[in-house]
Amino acid sequence: MLADAILSEAYRFARNRMAVFWTVLFVPILFLVFGTLVALFTKARMAEIASQMPQVDLDVGGPVNLGLSLVKSAADFANPIVLLFVLIGVATLYAGDYRWETWRLTSARNTRANLLLGKVGVVKVVILLALAVWLIGGLAGDVIKAAMLARPVTFSMDGGDAAQFLGFSVLMWLRVIQFTMIGLLAAVVTRSLLAALFVPLVVAIGQFFLMQALPILGLEPGDWLSQLMLPGLAADTLKALIEGGPTGASIPDGVGIKAVVSLVVWTVGPLAASIALFQRQDLSKE
Amino acid sequence: MTPSAYSVIETRNLTKTYGAVRALDGLSLTIPQGGVYGVLGPNGAGKSTLFRILLGLIRPSEGEATVMGGAIGTVSATRRMGSMIETPRFPPFMTARQVLVWLSTAHGLKADDARTSGWLDRVGLTEAADRKVRGFSVGMLQRLGVAAALMTEPELVILDEPTSGMDPPGIQEMRALIRSLAERDGITVILASHQLLEVQRVCDRVAILNRGRLVREGSVSDLTSTGERLRLSVKPVAKVLEILGGKGVAEGSAVLAAIPRTEGPALLRALIEQGVDIDEARWVGADLESVFMTETGTVQMPEDVQQEARHAG
Repeated sequence: MLADAILSEAYRFARNRMAVFWTVLFVPILFLVFGTLVALFTKARMAEIASQMPQVDLDVGGPVNLGLSLVKSAADFANPIVLLFVLIGVATLYAGDYRWETWRLTSARNTRANLLLGKVGVVKVVILLALAVWLIGGLAGDVIKAAMLARPVTFSMDGGDAAQFLGFSVLMWLRVIQFTMIGLLAAVVTRSLLAALFVPLVVAIGQFFLMQALPILGLEPGDWLSQLMLPGLAADTLKALIEGGPTGASIPDGVGIKAVVSLVVWTVGPLAASIALFQRQDLSKE
Repeated sequence: MTPSAYSVIETRNLTKTYGAVRALDGLSLTIPQGGVYGVLGPNGAGKSTLFRILLGLIRPSEGEATVMGGAIGTVSATRRMGSMIETPRFPPFMTARQVLVWLSTAHGLKADDARTSGWLDRVGLTEAADRKVRGFSVGMLQRLGVAAALMTEPELVILDEPTSGMDPPGIQEMRALIRSLAERDGITVILASHQLLEVQRVCDRVAILNRGRLVREGSVSDLTSTGERLRLSVKPVAKVLEILGGKGVAEGSAVLAAIPRTEGPALLRALIEQGVDIDEARWVGADLESVFMTETGTVQMPEDVQQEARHAG
């Protein structure tokens, strides 16, 4: 039954080409184009400087390691621009049945819990796909940049790099899912597509300001309350631990557990609340 | 197929309130299996509320209901039903064919192009099968809604105003489809429509709701025959009215006599004996519209006709 819900949601989402484009393709393409333009500008500027000062040896940098490029791209996935555009597609998935009044078509065919979980299942896959395209876009950007600046391309990734890549990928994937869970709750509570899009963004902005206000509130970043209140801080904590080095070492013992609990609470909490509310929701208008 | 003795829907004291408004007010109704069952009522009578409760879209405030023996709102019951409540809407970026595949998948059925094409053909959407739904007229949406309700081969289908927005040929086609569902496919069809002539032609039984309550229920033939009257073109009208007492009403130069068919010959003999000139005498039946208007209080029939109709019903 859950499989039916996932398959039907996936079938419908795949037909919504605009949503697929904005969610999965737009940001990698944007970054690729922007990165290429920056490389073009850099190349032109370097040529200009070289013609003016032929005696200066312009160091264009060493080889481009695509292995490290992958690690960096994975760590940067859950950035505000990716979040915004992923949320555009996800909002149509979560709030579409309210907008198009199609709950009445599907709610007779499966349990309400399965219908919501089916959407969440598809969102998880879509975000994974967005991550994959983001990584490919990052690689393509670095290859183009290297070609333009005449830098050699290499690929090396040791065990530590691979672990970091995996850790960042999973963490950033969960981080974006966590935001979409807030969108799901907003969609169910308000039945509005715009709310499903903007409420998670407002929560993200609110977290940013709250993080700055921690000292004023007399809270330390490693406190339970800080970590539970600010999933963004919890994600940063886990990111630092994955990164290791001096940054990771600066995280006090036990804070990592608090960060994991925060991530789980902020992911499972909105989902459980959404299902509980949806179970009893009057769908007569939808 | 004629209605059988088994019931597909039973409601007991079903009530739904929205604040101070009672959309359903203690409705007790049994809908038999088989045939086409009409649910009639003016706007706000509670038809759509009843359907939404049966489909599990909303919960009743009080009372109970079962659908094919199962409790309402359970997927085991609703999966055996198909429905189209008011004008259906679909994701605008999908084609008609994709809508049916999507809903089949949601139902746990494998995509079957022959089945999909078959239903699109049956509702007259073959040519529009691969067009995006966003360009569909209301009538086309209705047709697609009917196909979506039927393609999972339900045992019971609820159609709320299925001909709304359709042109006359479309209405005829839909009427034929509804009858064939009951007669050829053995599906119990519950139909709500404001087009009473259509209901009279299609339905085997009807329930008339008003202000959330059941005011009449029975077979269409019973309901319409109970209002039967003898129309007499006579001179002088006043004398005939006097002979009939309270059982006659004037209608221009004619009199409508609310008497049983068995009393017709005796009345005619009596009128001739009293010297009344009779140009014409014929029985006129009450159509469903007049029964509906009477029961929902839209127009008043003579009190004795109403009483007789109630006793017979």
